[in-house]
Amino acid sequence: MFRLRQAVALAGLTALEALRQPVCLLLILVSSTLTALLPFLILHRFGEDGKLVRDSAFALHAVFGVFVAGYAATTALSRELESGTALVVLSKPVSRDCFFLSKFVGVVGVVGVFSLCAGLTTLLAERVAERFVNRDGVAGFVTDGQTGALLIAVMVAACVVGAVVNYKRQRPFGSVTTTALLGGLLLCVVLASCFDRTGQWAPFATRLDWRLVPVSVLITLGLVVMSSLAMTLSTVVGMVPTLASCSAVFALGMMSDYLFGLHATESLWAGLLYSAVPNWQHFWVCDQLNAGGSITGGYMGLAALYALVYASALLCLGTVLFRQKDV
Amino acid sequence: MQEKANSTILEVVQLTKVFCDFWRRPKVRAVDGLNLSVRRGEIFGLLGPNGSGKSTTIKLLLGLLHPTEGSIRLMEGRPGDVAVHRRIGYLPEVSHLYRYLTPRETLLFYGRLFDLSARERRARTDQLLEMTGLTAAADRAVGEFSKGMARRLGLAQALLNAPELLILDEPTSGLDPMGCRQVKEMLRALADQGTTILLTSHLLADVEHICDRVVIMYNGKPRAAGNLRDLLATPDRMTLDLPVLDAATTRRLLQTIRETCDCEAELSRPSMNLEEFFVRVVREATNGASAAPEAATPRMAAFLEK
Ligand SMILES: Nc1ncnc2c1ncn2[C@@H]1O[C@H](COP(=O)(O)OP(=O)(O)OP(=O)(O)O)[C@@H](O)[C@H]1O
Ligand SMILES: [Mg+2]
Repeated sequence: MFRLRQAVALAGLTALEALRQPVCLLLILVSSTLTALLPFLILHRFGEDGKLVRDSAFALHAVFGVFVAGYAATTALSRELESGTALVVLSKPVSRDCFFLSKFVGVVGVVGVFSLCAGLTTLLAERVAERFVNRDGVAGFVTDGQTGALLIAVMVAACVVGAVVNYKRQRPFGSVTTTALLGGLLLCVVLASCFDRTGQWAPFATRLDWRLVPVSVLITLGLVVMSSLAMTLSTVVGMVPTLASCSAVFALGMMSDYLFGLHATESLWAGLLYSAVPNWQHFWVCDQLNAGGSITGGYMGLAALYALVYASALLCLGTVLFRQKDV
Repeated sequence: MQEKANSTILEVVQLTKVFCDFWRRPKVRAVDGLNLSVRRGEIFGLLGPNGSGKSTTIKLLLGLLHPTEGSIRLMEGRPGDVAVHRRIGYLPEVSHLYRYLTPRETLLFYGRLFDLSARERRARTDQLLEMTGLTAAADRAVGEFSKGMARRLGLAQALLNAPELLILDEPTSGLDPMGCRQVKEMLRALADQGTTILLTSHLLADVEHICDRVVIMYNGKPRAAGNLRDLLATPDRMTLDLPVLDAATTRRLLQTIRETCDCEAELSRPSMNLEEFFVRVVREATNGASAAPEAATPRMAAFLEK
């Protein structure tokens, strides 16, 4: 019980410290703002807007997510080891395993917050994107400008709230702005699901493309695997090598099917590499949506199992390495 | 009771630490065959010039580094044992604080790692902030702190669990003379209550007044060890402490001494050292000339009083 409370305290602090860093806020804000602007940047693609916006938004989610995961994991571990704060924490009655795993949970928390922001923005941006409407006398391409404006307003408002609270109460800008952004996006989703794209009242839960949610969740699972990789690397090397290696593994994992998968049956090496390098294609299922289908629960379960097995293996390795580390 | 007071709390035998590079090739022999034993209730000083291996020794004691050779017995346990760490307080060489937390959040966080109840955490935090003079800055981010303020918070953090063994790496570095004096007074008071203190320093003036025993290290090896009073005693001289006498009496006194013991005697007026002078000036400035000098000394946190 005591261990659990310790772990909660450590994980909470890890998430809080990361979210208070300007870099984390910057990554969250830039990815959300770019996603929100997508419907206005990609115009008149003959009704393909929804698909283009969706694909680009998911790509932003994944790429920025890799940086958020890498950055959060390295600040949680490499940075703490370099700056010495880990020294103080480990001089308290905290076991190394508990320290390492709690840090990981904290990083997953940060990735969760980022993914929530990215996911909600994607949901809204897809709704804003131009689509053909033929109803109630309206026939033609409609862009949901109101929701779009609301979405941009939420981004600006979050920054204003952060600045005001920082000015009045001296609370950190980063974490306050992130919280405000999350709250604003949730409100936006509620509003958007109450009205349809022409601005008329409509029953809840019919006005947003909820099929996007499982896709976001899968990307988030991929990011969790990435976090465990970054944590494990952080026990051995510093921040820059960790981030570089994570980007490399991300690129390899995206191409894993082509690079190794094609030769996996003929060559032992290709087979080994194919199973060793995490295959991000499992977590990238946009094409499924474009074909008009949706993601089944069974597939979600399998992907979650893959992520769980992968992350656990990496974390076991990380725990062993961290136990032997000279802090 | 007496037996407990004299028992050893820390025993180090032939401790050696060799730092290796990334490819596991030996690089530096930071500690080399160190033997130590610290008794319960004493203030033990680990002295030595820069790079002599003091901080490395301390990190070995805390299980933060793994020794290359040798053994450490710490409170009937081993370094790194969670149960042992419950009873230890540690102040690192540099305070190493979370930049984006406030002092209050910092102490509350460490309180949670010791599993103190919420009420106890808050009470101890308030008392320690007051004791270290940080109450006014309690809600500012630690990242903006001056070196001395960070040091004070580091000290507060080390005392949070009312430790039996307090391990301090250069506790007075970065503190102003008032702060130094306060820390030394506090350490003495804690030791009088039975806390064992192991500290490192190269500021010898600081150590001289408070340490019971010391080890002097150089290049990772212990070079001299023992009771501070014995080490510093000059066995063939003694001083006589008197109020100021008039010139005639003084002359007569010296005459008598020379005649009775047939030796050279000299008279000099002791002067305050700069630290004492500084402390007096500042205390007078803060309290008005008439106030008692103790008035500026902060009160020991109530939970530390035994
Ligand atoms: N992590 C490390 N990797 C490699 N060498 C190290 C490491 N830490 C310390 N050393 C080396 O070990 C030796 C002892 O260092 P240590 O920090 O223990 O000295 P110190 O006595 O505390 O010095 P100071 O008074 O300056 O604090 C030095 O030569 C130092 O360069
Ligand atoms: Mg040192």
